[in-house]
Amino acid sequence: MIDIHLSKKEVSLYTNIIINSIKTRIDKIKAKGGVVALSGGIDSSLVAVLAKKALGDRVLALIMPEEGVSPDTDTNHAKEIVRRFNIPHREIPINGAIDWFFNIFPEKELSKREVKLALLNVKPKIRMIINYLYANLENRIVIGTTNKTELLLGYGTKYGDLAADIYPIADLYKTQVWQLAEFVGIPTEIVKKKPTAGLWKGQTDEEELGHTYEEIDKILYTLVEMEFSVKEASEYLGMPASVIEDIFKRVKLSEHKRKTPTITRLSRMCLDKDWRYPVERY
Amino acid sequence: MRNLRVGIGQIITRLGDIKGNRERILRFIEKGTKEDVDVIVFPELSTLGFGSGDIYLDKINENLKLVEELIELSKKIKPYLIIGFVDRDERGFFYNAAGLIGNGKLIGVHRKLQLVNYRLFDEKRYFAPGTRAQVFNAPWGKTGILICEDVWFPEPARILAFRGAEVIFVLSASPFDREKPEVWKTFLTSRVYDNILPIIMVNQAGVQDGVTYWGGSMVFDASGNLLHQAKLLEEEFSVAEVNLELSKVLRRRDIRLRETRFEVIEELLNAYKEMQK
Repeated sequence: MIDIHLSKKEVSLYTNIIINSIKTRIDKIKAKGGVVALSGGIDSSLVAVLAKKALGDRVLALIMPEEGVSPDTDTNHAKEIVRRFNIPHREIPINGAIDWFFNIFPEKELSKREVKLALLNVKPKIRMIINYLYANLENRIVIGTTNKTELLLGYGTKYGDLAADIYPIADLYKTQVWQLAEFVGIPTEIVKKKPTAGLWKGQTDEEELGHTYEEIDKILYTLVEMEFSVKEASEYLGMPASVIEDIFKRVKLSEHKRKTPTITRLSRMCLDKDWRYPVERY
Repeated sequence: MRNLRVGIGQIITRLGDIKGNRERILRFIEKGTKEDVDVIVFPELSTLGFGSGDIYLDKINENLKLVEELIELSKKIKPYLIIGFVDRDERGFFYNAAGLIGNGKLIGVHRKLQLVNYRLFDEKRYFAPGTRAQVFNAPWGKTGILICEDVWFPEPARILAFRGAEVIFVLSASPFDREKPEVWKTFLTSRVYDNILPIIMVNQAGVQDGVTYWGGSMVFDASGNLLHQAKLLEEEFSVAEVNLELSKVLRRRDIRLRETRFEVIEELLNAYKEMQK
């Protein structure tokens, strides 16, 4: 079976394909360019650099930190990326928007855990609004930064960071994202740092998910690409079935995040079931 | 020595964009004419673009009109044309087809035998499968045409070899995924070895709706040498020369085609019937 790690040749070819796909979509729909929300993490850094290679100065990176919560290192890394790769950008802290939202929100029982968690998801949605504001301003598309690992786990906010027009790196596992990032010359300290969704101070993805990305990717690759059952994967990887089951459960529960909203079918031409047209349609 | 000069029309087609695809096809025909090639080969479903979904049904007539235009054009040019389009029969069935056009005539049409309906593909939603693998007479000799998946199976190329094909053209629109170009190279080589025939595969290039067609069209001589490979991913017109005598030279001592036994083929049919039970 093929290793999850790409060969050098594959890394270069995949990079080419992704650049080509970004450029083609923009050209076809005659958009002015693309917007990328750049946190300074590995995924958005890679997408910003690939978009720059595809579109030149027609890409706009939006750095939208929540000051005091988003790690300074991330914001500094975002600035380092735009400087090093000469990417047009804006910096827009979102603290004001978050405060405003918290103030108008009538449910004041903020001590409740569920309410707090739900409000955490407001932050990526605020960034989404700013993304699309810039997209609408100048006829740009929003270039999403999710990867296959996140998308399979449902580790993203629907209509928040997952809201986009294209997902250029969403067929790459995190492990492969690291490889491409290194290849395009993203500084090692950005590649090597612990990934974080930046939802609260000190948060790291791996702590929240309960496993390292290396482990998760191995499990996902075995379940999805090799099509092993939980039991087979457990034997193959020498890992407890409960761990694999836990990951598999996330995949099953997050199917809705990978689909458009389900339409109740009444006609013979239900738009999400019977009607089949490409997006790039003439 | 009898050489066939082939123009490889590795174009980027756009989904349902007949006007744009027509322009690209005509531009490549112009190049091929200047290069004095014998034949210009375009990818699978070049008129409409592979992966067009329900547009196949909407734009059937415009697509057929373009084929008519190419037939008319072929009166005025030397190169013959092999091009993928959507064919329709008198019953109104649609086919993923390829036409051999030359000298003002549609000399032959091959209808894809092995429709793809797995992974991202849903060809059976639109197309009926072809049932025949015929060879057509062209100025350079007997010519077989296959479409993409047809060559993933050993039988269609075999039938063409039995029918005396001197060269096989394969039109494809192969979506990129991991190791795909290597896989193609491997089984195209097998088809060449099996049948001791030159094979010319022309693949689509470019990205459509997130699917990358990897280009990399390949030309093999009858001994299995990869004579020419077009660029990966990019639109490109290139020219390759294939020796059409080589298979006859090789077949003086390589007797496999001749020695294929009737009893074995009969046994193949028996085994197939058993498998279907």
